[in-house]
Parts: sequence; structure tokens; C-alpha cells
Amino acid sequence: MSEPSLSTVLDRNTIVTDLAARSKDDVIAALTQLLLKQGYIESQEAFIAAVHEREQEGATGIGGHVAIPHGRSDTVRKNGMAIAILRNEIPWESLDETGAKAVVLFTVGSNDDGAQEHLKLLSMFARKLAKSQVVEALLHARSADDVIGAFAD
Amino acid sequence: MKIVGVSACTIGIAHTYLAQQKVEDAAKAAGDDVKIETQGTIGIENALTPEDIAEADIVLLAVDVKIANEERFNGKKVVKVSTDTAIKSPNKLVAKLHEIVGK
Repeated sequence: MSEPSLSTVLDRNTIVTDLAARSKDDVIAALTQLLLKQGYIESQEAFIAAVHEREQEGATGIGGHVAIPHGRSDTVRKNGMAIAILRNEIPWESLDETGAKAVVLFTVGSNDDGAQEHLKLLSMFARKLAKSQVVEALLHARSADDVIGAFAD
Repeated sequence: MKIVGVSACTIGIAHTYLAQQKVEDAAKAAGDDVKIETQGTIGIENALTPEDIAEADIVLLAVDVKIANEERFNGKKVVKVSTDTAIKSPNKLVAKLHEIVGK
């Protein structure tokens, strides 16, 4: 089975490296700001509320210093993601008691008209994050190109 | 042995697929045949066939929500865990499946 390109999901305008953040809220604020600026979401406040709602349901730290918060909301204009590589690890509820050094924030729209293909790409992206060599490269990324490279085969 | 299963999480965009990949990798490393169906936002993918289910030694459900067509597994050995467990300790989970099946 040939896979469509992940590069259509990765947007260098929503990737930040060496982010100096002290808390989960800092990271979510920075990433949602990028998503707002690039037109992925209409309201930063509404999207942050959706992300927090998901956080209440359980840990989004998937282990290995990676967190994948996500929010599904009407305010989402485009399904996609924003990625932050942090200067220092911060506390984040996770499956293995580690914090977060890399944060991948997914946007998911409430309506799914025409978005299926994009969502399929996001699911492939999630599958990539299950691979330890991908995570390793991500944690050491120093630029948006490094981040994109981490997901390349 | 042959493991089949389903993964499904609440939003159906991330954990579903992480769990699928982790379990598949762990099972392959243990020398097993494995096929995990995903029930996510984009619908059902990698769907299990009746043959898959008939051939399986055990069924693994890594699910946080009610799934579609669970009755397919009636009469099979079924182990149900959360997607978190599958993502966190896939190797331990596969070892436990082996213990249950006795293979």
C-alpha cells in the first residue's frame, strides 16, 4: 500500500523549536497562537477550551517525552498540527511519568466534509510517533527542517 | 500465534493509531502474526475479516470507547485494555496474551 505524503500535513509555519516554555499552558498558548495566525483556527480561546476539555479525559503524554494534546472544535478551520520542541522538559501528565520535551498539537474540526483525506494523514502521523527512532530524531530537532526530517522515511 | 484486535480512542485521531502501531510492532517482535483494526474518526480501517477472526488465537481490544461489531468476537478469548495500556507497555501486553493462550 503506498502512503500519501506526510509533507502535506507538516507546515513549517506551525513548527517552533527551542521554545522556552515553563508550563503546559505556555506551550498551548504558543502553539495555538501559531495555529490562529496560519488560519487553522478562528478563535484561540475556543480552541484552548477544547484542548483543555480533552486534557481532563486523561494523559496526552504518550511516553518518551512526547505529548500529543488535541482539540475537536467548531472553531477549527483546517485539520492540522502545530509542533513545539522545547528548550527544557516541562511537567506533563504522561503514561510513563516523563514530562514533555516535544509537543504535537492536533486540530480536528467538528464537521468532516472533505476532510477525510487530511484526517487519514494525521492518523499516519500518529502512527509514526509510535516509532522510537522518529521520537528520538524529533526530540533532538533544532529547526523546522529537522522536525520535518524526523518524520521522513 | 495469531493476534487480532481493535483499537479505538475517544477522539479517534491519535491514540487509536499509536496503540495499533505499538501492538503490531511488539507482536511482530515476539514472532506473532498480528492484525489490528482501527475504529477512528476516519472510520474503520484495516478491517478484520471473518477469516482473520476465525484464525486468531486471541482477540485484543485496546479501546476507550464502545466499538462497532464487538459481537464478532463472541466465543473467542478476548482481552480488553485501554489504549493507554497498549501504548505504554505493548511488550508486557503481548507477553500476557501469550500467557493466556499458553503458546
